[in-house]
Amino acid sequence: MTLDFSWLADPLYQQWLLRGLGTTILMSLLGIVLMFIIGIAGAACIHFRLPVLETLTTILVELFRNTPPLVQLFFLYFMLSEIGLTLTDSATGRSIPLFSGFTCVVLSLGLYNGAIAVEIIRSGLLAVPSQTVEGARSLGYSRLQTFRHVELPIGLRMSIPAMTNNVVSLIKTSSQAVLVAVADIMYGATQIMLETFRNLEVMILIWIIYVVIASLAVVAARRIAAAVRIPGYGM
Amino acid sequence: MNSELKAFTFGVVGVTLVLSAILVTVYGAETGRVVQALAVRTPLLLSGSPDFSRFEGGFAANIIISLWAMLIAGITGVALGIGLIAQSAAVRTPSVLVMNILRNSPWLVVLYAMLYLLPFEVDLFGTTFFLSPLVKSVIGLALPVTANIAEVFRGGVEAIPSGQWESARSLGYRRLQILRHVVVPQAIPFMTPNLMTTYAMLFIGTSLVVVTGAADVLSVARTVIASDGAHYATAIYLYVLFLFFIFCFPIAILTRWLERRVRVRQ
Repeated sequence: MTLDFSWLADPLYQQWLLRGLGTTILMSLLGIVLMFIIGIAGAACIHFRLPVLETLTTILVELFRNTPPLVQLFFLYFMLSEIGLTLTDSATGRSIPLFSGFTCVVLSLGLYNGAIAVEIIRSGLLAVPSQTVEGARSLGYSRLQTFRHVELPIGLRMSIPAMTNNVVSLIKTSSQAVLVAVADIMYGATQIMLETFRNLEVMILIWIIYVVIASLAVVAARRIAAAVRIPGYGM
Repeated sequence: MNSELKAFTFGVVGVTLVLSAILVTVYGAETGRVVQALAVRTPLLLSGSPDFSRFEGGFAANIIISLWAMLIAGITGVALGIGLIAQSAAVRTPSVLVMNILRNSPWLVVLYAMLYLLPFEVDLFGTTFFLSPLVKSVIGLALPVTANIAEVFRGGVEAIPSGQWESARSLGYRRLQILRHVVVPQAIPFMTPNLMTTYAMLFIGTSLVVVTGAADVLSVARTVIASDGAHYATAIYLYVLFLFFIFCFPIAILTRWLERRVRVRQ
């Protein structure tokens, strides 16, 4: 078996791959932002024991954690078009779905990994030493202020190792976008495979690219962990 | 098991209510008809045959694939895990490298790669084995899970105090013998919850085998949607979500219970 990578020299293929790479990275970044928003909001709902929201968050977290992100993605994709969220394009007069495949992927990544992030941040909050919280309370901080200025900053730092795994999982999960026809790097790869029939070589390249992106994310997380470290909090 | 039982009932009832609420919101007055259509398609989605006569496709295929993949990944994972804690760097460094590559690669990409890397048929001892999409997806899923199991194995072994190693060494055991007779039996309670989490993750991952062309629950769902109309897509995917949830959630709850028991015993 010989591997032939000569197709890589074609500028058109390079362009497809680079554009796809850009989409993948943009999708992952937006997903990570949404994941943090959902994770912090959900953890706060459970932390403050908000009457209805706590129950709802717990149920949704169980639902999203125990079902495949791919099925969630398909479900979102079809449900949003089924309930008819469409816009009318003023230029052509055609109705286009309000939520494109790209939006659906970002939403589904944010929801699936956000559900895991809720659990991670919650256990991070539980790991904050109670003396620190009591100290803040005795200094006159309200519960919300304690959360905002003491518990959340320390809790997020405590959750960095688990969160790193979650971010890597998010980046890996983003490869599913190809199944709802988002032009990410997998999509570019599929196109190239269709034209060159160099299936194995293309897949090996994509494999390497994903391993590199994920490893970069791990390195970045380690840098962040080192930069925000608070001495004395066991990190 | 009391608090877990409560969480279980709460989760199952809550999720069922949430999913039903979504179904009613999306379909409105049509809900009855849609539920009827789902009931008709249930045997197909569960077993891949219209009357439960065979269990080769649908959700049963997901279970079969996950069990085989777990079995294979269990064997290779322990081997890689032993490599991870080996004393000689010549074994350890490649093992760490392989583990990191497998752990950081998307399952979908590994599945695609296996689809093209593995031949259609293998000649072994004069007999020809055909590698069906099912076999390819089992191998494709077993690869990334190997890395997870190796990591679980290493974590479990490292949780055992080094005194156990030293006393076994002084009794004349060799390294692999210590692992086999002293350390691993003690580490199994630590590993079990993590192994179950890994299995649940693998089961969730089996939804990806739809790309290999195996007749799993998602490809059956797609066929059903193609024949019944895209109008039913939301309901069918809701149903598939529910199937996965009902399978994975008990595992998650059992894992939590085991974790608590292990922590209490310490």
